[in-house]
Amino acid sequence: MEFAREIYWNIGHDAPVLLPMYLLSLAAMAIAGWGFWLRIRVYRQGKPAVRTADPAGRLALLLKDALGQVKVLRVPGAGTAHALFFWGFALLFIGTLLIMAQADFTDPLFGLRFLKGNFYKAFSLVLDLAGAVSIVMLLGLLVRRFIVRPAGLETKRDDVVMHALLLLILATGFVIEGARMAVTELGTPLASWSPVGLVFAQTFAGLGEEGLKTLHVGTWWLHFALVLGFIGLIPFTKFRHIFTTPANYFLVDDGPKGRLSTLDLEDDTAESFGAAHVSDLSWKDIFDADACTQCKRCQDRCPAHNTDKPLSPMKIVNQIGELAFGSPGNSLIDTCQKEALWACTTCLACQDICPASIEHVSKIVDMRRHLVLMEGEFPGEEVTGAVDALEVNGNPLGMGYASRGDWAAGLPVVILAEDAEVDILYFVGCYASFDKRNQAVARSFVQLCAAAGVKVGILGKEEKCCGEPVRKLGNEYLYQSLAAGNIEQMQNYGVKKIVTTCPHCFNTLSRDYRDLGFAVEVEHYTVFLEGLVESGRLKLQTEPFSATYHDSCTLGRYNDIYGSPRALLEAAGCQLVEMDRHRAESFCCGAGGGRILAEEKLGSRISVKRVQMAAETAAPMLVSNCPFCLTMFEDGVKGAELDGRLIAKDLAELLAARIQP
Amino acid sequence: MKILVCIKQVPDMESKFRINGAGTWYDESDLAWRINEYDEYAVEQGVRLKEQVGEAEMVVLSIGPDRVKEVIKKALAMGGDRGVHVKDDAAFAKDSFEIASIVAEYAQKESFDVIFTGMQSQDRASAQVGVFLAEMLGLPSVTTIVDFSYADGTVTASRELEGGLKAVVKVATPALFTCQLGLNTPRYPTLPNIMKAKKKELLTVEVAELLKVDERLETSRVYFPERKGGGLVLEGDVGEVADRLIAILKEKTTVL
Repeated sequence: MEFAREIYWNIGHDAPVLLPMYLLSLAAMAIAGWGFWLRIRVYRQGKPAVRTADPAGRLALLLKDALGQVKVLRVPGAGTAHALFFWGFALLFIGTLLIMAQADFTDPLFGLRFLKGNFYKAFSLVLDLAGAVSIVMLLGLLVRRFIVRPAGLETKRDDVVMHALLLLILATGFVIEGARMAVTELGTPLASWSPVGLVFAQTFAGLGEEGLKTLHVGTWWLHFALVLGFIGLIPFTKFRHIFTTPANYFLVDDGPKGRLSTLDLEDDTAESFGAAHVSDLSWKDIFDADACTQCKRCQDRCPAHNTDKPLSPMKIVNQIGELAFGSPGNSLIDTCQKEALWACTTCLACQDICPASIEHVSKIVDMRRHLVLMEGEFPGEEVTGAVDALEVNGNPLGMGYASRGDWAAGLPVVILAEDAEVDILYFVGCYASFDKRNQAVARSFVQLCAAAGVKVGILGKEEKCCGEPVRKLGNEYLYQSLAAGNIEQMQNYGVKKIVTTCPHCFNTLSRDYRDLGFAVEVEHYTVFLEGLVESGRLKLQTEPFSATYHDSCTLGRYNDIYGSPRALLEAAGCQLVEMDRHRAESFCCGAGGGRILAEEKLGSRISVKRVQMAAETAAPMLVSNCPFCLTMFEDGVKGAELDGRLIAKDLAELLAARIQP
Repeated sequence: MKILVCIKQVPDMESKFRINGAGTWYDESDLAWRINEYDEYAVEQGVRLKEQVGEAEMVVLSIGPDRVKEVIKKALAMGGDRGVHVKDDAAFAKDSFEIASIVAEYAQKESFDVIFTGMQSQDRASAQVGVFLAEMLGLPSVTTIVDFSYADGTVTASRELEGGLKAVVKVATPALFTCQLGLNTPRYPTLPNIMKAKKKELLTVEVAELLKVDERLETSRVYFPERKGGGLVLEGDVGEVADRLIAILKEKTTVL
């Protein structure tokens, strides 16, 4: 026998069926198109942003992330269920398209029928199983959302409509299949190629042919109506993410991760800086709100949210959407609230995990820019003081600028003003220059370089803060003036290579300064030292010890440097015990986003939470690679009363103690 | 209303201070400069008064070498309307009477309704320029104010007295006020105002045109306080501390 089935069996394949079917489908699609057109008008309130360079590359990314569900799958459980549901539903959609292609195009036009034989068997089996997987995954997600709902998962009318509609579409699909099979396939070898449909067919078998046909045709039209509803509702419900989320993969920022726009401060025509209203944001920022599915992954990882501060990155993104669509004239900052905006540590955990590639951090910084540049506001008086100190002395600690290089007295370090012929410029940064605890890190790094025969130079009193903390706080003006000073000095000396011990300096010099015309090679010391160890110039003594390692946000999520510090730890003999949250899932120390300058007045302390995570590993040492992290962990160890049980060390200190004599 | 605010640029107090070659003042190398703290309160109060009365012009005056233009620009960014730079590379050597008379010479050309100065400068700390200036201009002066309100030509100001006491003083303008810590929290200039300040008038006057008096005080010597033996805190194990104490007593004293 021929393995195939009569398409449109029991429905009819003539004008009274085809006309309403195609016309209504077109109408549903027109409604969806109109809905999106209305939304595009709202996106256009935003400022221009170009996100179309390299369209082929962007399209490849879209296909990989959407069809592969790559970002969705980063969180097992709900993510796995979504991916399986997506693939199942996509197969069902493709199956429907194949039926349309044969029944209404290839067969009537060319007499070509491809849904037959072994291909039809496979077609039958795949779609049957796809339907089963989809329905099971959907039921799982439904239980998660409506019965055992995890904290923070907000459920709205959209979610009810979406779950109900999808469930009904899938269920009616099986009823149609079962009724058809009960009449046409029961007892034939073909039936076993639709195992789930077969169960339905056997269940319905007692209804008799007439009853089955009535059930079939009635359910068919119901299924059709549900699908029309689904299509029409896409732009008007969270279903829109089927289009907006993949579109966001296409529209991704192709610059360095977590990039902030470099404002043109010389622009005389600019009357306002930063974002006070949604119209001050870019259209992409408004679009992001439409791409959000409120999966709350960002919120789950936000260090501020996890320590009871009034910030949820998800909420910020959605508040922007609500304003844009509802009351664009209202104040963006009052809606999002200052306390929430100042609480952000710009750790990028939200952005990194977001399955919709939303950019949370730049929105927050844009609003901070308005607060600082237009209102002269900071999160507290201590920050105003630090900013004043930066303006006067080039460091936020308020130390006299002329003593910046004093830490290096007696060490094998030259000042570039006296000798610019060096292998590397060590850009020391404010904390390693002035903070006693971090001066130990600077000395360690210099010892390591000396052991490897690397000639190190510093700018000494000619170095200023790289500007990162104030930039993240929104003070673009001060950032650019500090940057201009540093760039001028470094260019004067013809610096060829820069190494930093601070990841914030590293990210700023290597990436942010690019926008200001500075293009010298910059490395973080972990990468630099790894190279020295690999080449055999730096020899370390291997003595076994146990430690846990904290990935700083700036080295990790911003720069994807996870391997070098671990390789160095291994070279030093470390038995590394990882915390649950490590690598891209690392939990901020609390000092990013300029928070190093601010007191933590709201909620509990982020640093304490992080050192507690370290203590859970039972390792006696918490190793990090950043002066801000080290400062926070020293405080956190005291705050968590872990003195004597956990010590905070910088990787450089650890290595310097293990230099082979 | 015309408001004058007199400001001084001083070294940041965290700087590394050295005595200059002549031994009469500090050496200016390696110093970071800023607006005198009390003068910043004066600028802020001037701007607030201007904002309150609406129709007002605020002039900011500073004496010193070219670098003092920086603090004038900052005051203009905070809200001043125009700046006057009295160029004087040797301003550091002038006594308070000379400084006040230079300002008075300028100020009498324009009739100011309200003059604000800092209570004192952070480097010389004589606290005299404000009162001298008032006297020279024949104005009443109210010193060390920590609160200021203006209505219908009358200022009500709180003065800080010894022992935490405060005095409330009422005075009709024109008058001069010297500003003390606690008067206000100076604003952080907004970026548009920083940009606008760059285009505001900043007049430079040579000090010779305004200096009509002779110096009355001469600085004969500037020196650091003598280091008198500091304290020593011994920490650690009690037994060890006791041994170290005995060693020190033996070595450095004749007690044992």
